[in-house]
Amino acid sequence: MREMLSLFAFDLRETFDSVPWTVYFWLFFAFQYFVYGQLISSLVNPAVMTNYYFYYGTGILIIMTFNVSTWAGRRFVEGAHEGRLRYLLSLPFTRGELFLEQVLLGLAVNLIRIGPPLVLMLWLAKMPPIMLATSVAVLLAMSFGIMGIMISLSFIAFKSFDIFSAIVASTSAILIRFSTVLYPLALMPSAYGTVARFNPLTYGSDLLRDALNFNISSLLNPNLAAFVVAAVASRR
Amino acid sequence: METAVETFGLTKSYGNTNALDGLNAKVKQGEILVLLGPNGSGKTTLLHLLSTVLRPTRGTATVMGYDIVKQPLKVRETIGISFQEPRGFWRHKPYHILSFHAGIYGLKGEAKDKIVEKTLKDFDLWPSRNKKFMELSGGQGKRLEVAKLFVYRPAVAVFDEPTAMVDLEGKRMIWDRIRELREAGSTVIVATNEVREAEYLADRISIMKLGKEVVTEDLRTLKDSIRGGDVVEVQFSASTSPQLVRALEEVPGTVRVVPDSEKSLKVFVNRSEDWLPQMMTSLQPLQTKVTSIRVTEPSLDDVFLHYTGDELVKQINA
Repeated sequence: MREMLSLFAFDLRETFDSVPWTVYFWLFFAFQYFVYGQLISSLVNPAVMTNYYFYYGTGILIIMTFNVSTWAGRRFVEGAHEGRLRYLLSLPFTRGELFLEQVLLGLAVNLIRIGPPLVLMLWLAKMPPIMLATSVAVLLAMSFGIMGIMISLSFIAFKSFDIFSAIVASTSAILIRFSTVLYPLALMPSAYGTVARFNPLTYGSDLLRDALNFNISSLLNPNLAAFVVAAVASRR
Repeated sequence: METAVETFGLTKSYGNTNALDGLNAKVKQGEILVLLGPNGSGKTTLLHLLSTVLRPTRGTATVMGYDIVKQPLKVRETIGISFQEPRGFWRHKPYHILSFHAGIYGLKGEAKDKIVEKTLKDFDLWPSRNKKFMELSGGQGKRLEVAKLFVYRPAVAVFDEPTAMVDLEGKRMIWDRIRELREAGSTVIVATNEVREAEYLADRISIMKLGKEVVTEDLRTLKDSIRGGDVVEVQFSASTSPQLVRALEEVPGTVRVVPDSEKSLKVFVNRSEDWLPQMMTSLQPLQTKVTSIRVTEPSLDDVFLHYTGDELVKQINA
């Protein structure tokens, strides 16, 4: 365990060194939320859906969580190609500890990259601090599950970074578009909604919005959402 | 001498190709064993299996008594590996990389800081300690990769081509450090393509080919194992004669006698140290005066090519 924590601290130092990436994530959020979010929400009729702007903002946070979580798998494949992984495999900790460290690192990176935008968004929306805690818990649980899936995927495409990138890009395109990340279930065409009901990101998004007291009528059953998120998270 | 590392039918396959093919080998405690072999002979695979980076397809090995399949964690605590290519932590700095490595193996506080500083200085990396890894030259990166094993002195240290990319001065420094490591009690395994490195470091040399061990012996025995490997150039006071050539051919250990010049012969012999006194005795009845003798031993290159050459020729022809 001590060795694993040393590695965690070592990796975290490297992550802090990659300031441009972190800044990119924050700028991505700022542009998506303050510019594009304003534009797109002005196209939505408030009579049909109130506060789509905030709905869209939470969707962006989920997309960012998804992207940061895929980084864990990508880092695994990169590590194999760059020689970092074989070095780690030669160090005195178990494979389980190594995977756990990678996931913990992913969670920490998630907190660094998504925490400040989340705080800003909730502060602007005048949300109480308890909502920050619950929404962070939901996002981290989602991230935990996605990282597990991405690390598993990395084993399928271990020999080729290109194959891994292609798999992740197509998976994210399908998962994000066919879900309630950006559009509420109640307003989707029925065929689209049917597909979205089988998408774990739908449940993650809905659970996050439930934690933020979003209008429940546009959501799936929050208990079911909690169950799905827990199931995905425990799948590591 | 006790055994530090032992392999039992150790095999690693990739599809139909055996990178390592049923290897049975032993490394004695406190020795430097050099694995010498052409590319693809299985040296790196063996090192990766011993350090538990890879799992064997069949067979197993023990490192200081710990089984690499059943007790991988114990093996990792015992063995340290310096990889062939210095890669991985692009954004980290040499000081942090060594400090992390030392910390993983239990060093703390001031003791850790001291050994990290000493190691960086020993490997001529102190001035570059705060550069990012990606800013180091190839040679500096390689020295850092090797230096990792010197911050905690593992019981078994394995080096994969420790001086590739390093300049001549750096090579000497690394070789001397590796010998110091052995003198301090570590068992050392070095994989290399460089014959001079093997000659400088090895207590024993294991020549590998196509995933198998061809021969493992000390350098002297390997050189002696080449039939007619020693070349003795004998200079006479008078012209050579067929009678003289016959007399030399009859000396035990003579493989071949070749005229060199009017007054000299080149004789290919086994173990020149045994052959020379017998030659002198054999020449006495002929009353031939020898004016000079020059002995050339086979180099390790010759030994290497003797054991692996046919394969190299096949590769070249292919």
